[in-house]
Amino acid sequence: MSLATKSRARRITSVLAAAVAALMLAGCGASNNSATSSTPTTVDGSLNKIVYKGDASKSPAKANQRDDTFVTTIGTPSGVFLPYFQDNGWDGNATQPIFNSLVVVDNSGNVKPDLAEKWDISSDGLTYTYHLRKGLKFSDGSPLTAKDVAFTLTLLNDPAYSGGADFTNIGIKGVDEYKNGNAKSISGIKVVDDQTITIETTKVNPLALQTLGGSVLSKAYYGKDYKKGKLDYLKDLYSKPMGDGPYQLSKYVDGQEIRYKANKYYYGGKPKIENLIFKVTSKDTALANFQNGETDDDSFTPDQDNLDQLKSFGFATIRESTVPDISEIWLNNKNDILKDKKVRQALVYGLDRQQIVDVQLKGFGQVANVYAAPTQWSYTEKGVPTYKYNADKAKKLLDEAGWREGSDGIRVKDGKKLTLRYLTSKSDDPVVPIATENYKAIGVNFQPEVLDGDTIIQRWTQGGDWDMVGGFRTNGLVDPDDAINEFYSTNTSVNLTGYDNAEVTKLAKEGIATQDKDKRKEIYAELYKKLGEDVPTILVSYRQSLSAWNARIKNAEDFSTGSGDSSQALAKLEITK
Amino acid sequence: MLKYTLKRFGQMILMMFLLSILVFFLFALMPGDFFSGNRKLTPTRLAELRALYGLDKPPLQRYFIWLGNVLHGDFGWSLKYNEPVTDLLKTYMFNSFIVALAAMVIAWTIAVIVGVYSATHQYAFVDKLVTVIVFASLSFPSFFIGLLAIKFFAVDLKWLPVGGMIDTGSNSTGLAYVLEVGRHMILPVLILAFFSAGGLTRYFRSGMLDVLRLDFVRCARARGIKEHAVVYRHALRNALLPAITLLGFELPGLFSGAIITEQIFGWPGIGPIQLDALNAHDYEVLMTCTLLLSFLTILGNFLADVMYSVADPRVRLAQKAEA
Repeated sequence: MSLATKSRARRITSVLAAAVAALMLAGCGASNNSATSSTPTTVDGSLNKIVYKGDASKSPAKANQRDDTFVTTIGTPSGVFLPYFQDNGWDGNATQPIFNSLVVVDNSGNVKPDLAEKWDISSDGLTYTYHLRKGLKFSDGSPLTAKDVAFTLTLLNDPAYSGGADFTNIGIKGVDEYKNGNAKSISGIKVVDDQTITIETTKVNPLALQTLGGSVLSKAYYGKDYKKGKLDYLKDLYSKPMGDGPYQLSKYVDGQEIRYKANKYYYGGKPKIENLIFKVTSKDTALANFQNGETDDDSFTPDQDNLDQLKSFGFATIRESTVPDISEIWLNNKNDILKDKKVRQALVYGLDRQQIVDVQLKGFGQVANVYAAPTQWSYTEKGVPTYKYNADKAKKLLDEAGWREGSDGIRVKDGKKLTLRYLTSKSDDPVVPIATENYKAIGVNFQPEVLDGDTIIQRWTQGGDWDMVGGFRTNGLVDPDDAINEFYSTNTSVNLTGYDNAEVTKLAKEGIATQDKDKRKEIYAELYKKLGEDVPTILVSYRQSLSAWNARIKNAEDFSTGSGDSSQALAKLEITK
Repeated sequence: MLKYTLKRFGQMILMMFLLSILVFFLFALMPGDFFSGNRKLTPTRLAELRALYGLDKPPLQRYFIWLGNVLHGDFGWSLKYNEPVTDLLKTYMFNSFIVALAAMVIAWTIAVIVGVYSATHQYAFVDKLVTVIVFASLSFPSFFIGLLAIKFFAVDLKWLPVGGMIDTGSNSTGLAYVLEVGRHMILPVLILAFFSAGGLTRYFRSGMLDVLRLDFVRCARARGIKEHAVVYRHALRNALLPAITLLGFELPGLFSGAIITEQIFGWPGIGPIQLDALNAHDYEVLMTCTLLLSFLTILGNFLADVMYSVADPRVRLAQKAEA
């Protein structure tokens, strides 16, 4: 049910997967939940922490029989193997090995070369030039050139294109004339030579480099029937992908597994492991499949039980990683009660978030205070208020805001009771019992209501018929703007809280108006302080993921399905024999 | 007899029509559609997409378009899986069917044998044991027994595969493929059979007990017919009559899939697909499934009624008397 995730979904093989993947908020984009080299501050120590090193000699016989096949896992793919045309995030994961991108983004949001070995950005930050590697080929042996890149970008700006790729915040020059006018091509996209392409944009946007530098579709294969305004012919190619990535699709067995073969034309050389399989497993049997050697790599619901079991296998190398998203309780800032900053602050002080984290994440998470994930380069706790649980402070703030305790213990102001309705999509949401008790103690009448996710989204996005919404996480966060754009956007389907603060808007806009990372870091540090003090939403938690692989697989520490650079890592895997 | 069959057939067609109305409006009037959960779409784009898939028309008009398509065998397009609904259901429903059929055959065989045996040995040790097992089958949750069976037979003993329908990466064909699928079927089939055998056993046991107390059984015994013949030739045949109705009800169950069992065993059946479709508001898939299953329910009832009158001469006589 992952409709909201238009691009590649992260692999969250936890109990939350179905619900969470579907209901992820905020912007999209290739986000990342594993890690590679960089080491920013994290939930507990490092981003890619190996907590146990497996012994390959203990690997189960079933796994050892497969000496030329690597088996990893996937949730519920639906068989659309064409980037930019997928609704299901799992399909995005399944398509990653087939297509390379011009550039990839690692887990800390750093851009790394892939098909493009280098790139230039003009001094005004509006023109992007990508320099492709020499001798690039698609898996059918045909050359991959700048013309294919131009074709891909043109296709995605076709008037009939209905997928998730969105360039409106980049403003490629000439798109409007192409989409709505008679232009035969997009004037801002220029093929300089086979290895060089220049793209002119109209808005400075630090995300443009990665958004423009995505997967490349072969013009000869995907474009031979292309006519402006007609994209229906592509449906026949959904199941027959042809790309340039390390692995190419060999067979999709409905609901069972996706099989790939190594691509000898991959720019990095043919991968050492001949076969790759994405096997569909359920969370119930993930552990049993892994233990039996049916799979080589999987992620598991993070809890002590699973960790202990994985350790007991002996052959499993176990990794804990911080997931780059935040669990929040969204507050309706336009609401009569909640538009008062003091009330919002009281609601954070008066809520024992540590208890929520303990119950929900069982030691694999931490209370969140910053509007960034600890994996992001912009993350800093400096000067950000922490709102440690303190009922007295909460009461004082409510007093100051004019809410006086009534005869029944519920606070009253101007004859109105302090009643807040909380919508959640999870029947086991720990916020419900904890907040009910915590808020009662400070005189707030907290009324939880469990509804299905889509109904909540509808009430939440259309009209102001809500006070608080919980049970959702942000989407995977890559750029610092991902977590905060909802607080300054004028688009009401992005800015759900209705929060509007001139100072925040100014800082946030400055944050994406420059390409200078150090300058951006300063801006966001300031912004985190400001937002922390203002409490547009209640930040609840950061979480960790638990994954493991069979120690017979070499170099697997760099690989994690769904991360931006996963196909590069995939190509480097080896099997210890 | 022919008149009766035709009358029942006519009723069936009418029911189907009423059902199509119910099924369509149930889903069409539900708040939200496939696109409403997608916050990334701008209002203009949302309107465009809805128009593209005909979701902007009034429900009544949509109903007739849909009905027309269905009558032509076009059940629509799955937005989630991006393929025609019929293609989607064909694969997954067949997978569910083979497991359900095998489970049904086993469950019925066990239930008849055990039911008859424990009825003829009422209150004996075996009868008491059967009662305990039957209650276990009725009260244990399937995911618990399923996971326990995986742990025991697949992980500890390594006799059977953990899940799925084929071995990972297998390219087997022909007989080897059939045997491979068969091996993967064993656990889910046994679990499903265990759960339906419980209720059925109770049913046959009590049916048999009722019949054994009837006068004609006593009469047969009095005539000196061997006990074996009394039980199997006289009593059992009568006790099995109501089972025809029951069998009719089993028909939709063969195609509906088992959500929990299929999920646990990673069996690519229709159960989890329906659940996914519901979550994704993929209504054409849901409408087709619901319509098909209700059709099978009605058909099952129709067949049961007709078969009953074939099997039981008394029903035919009663109809004649009525007419």
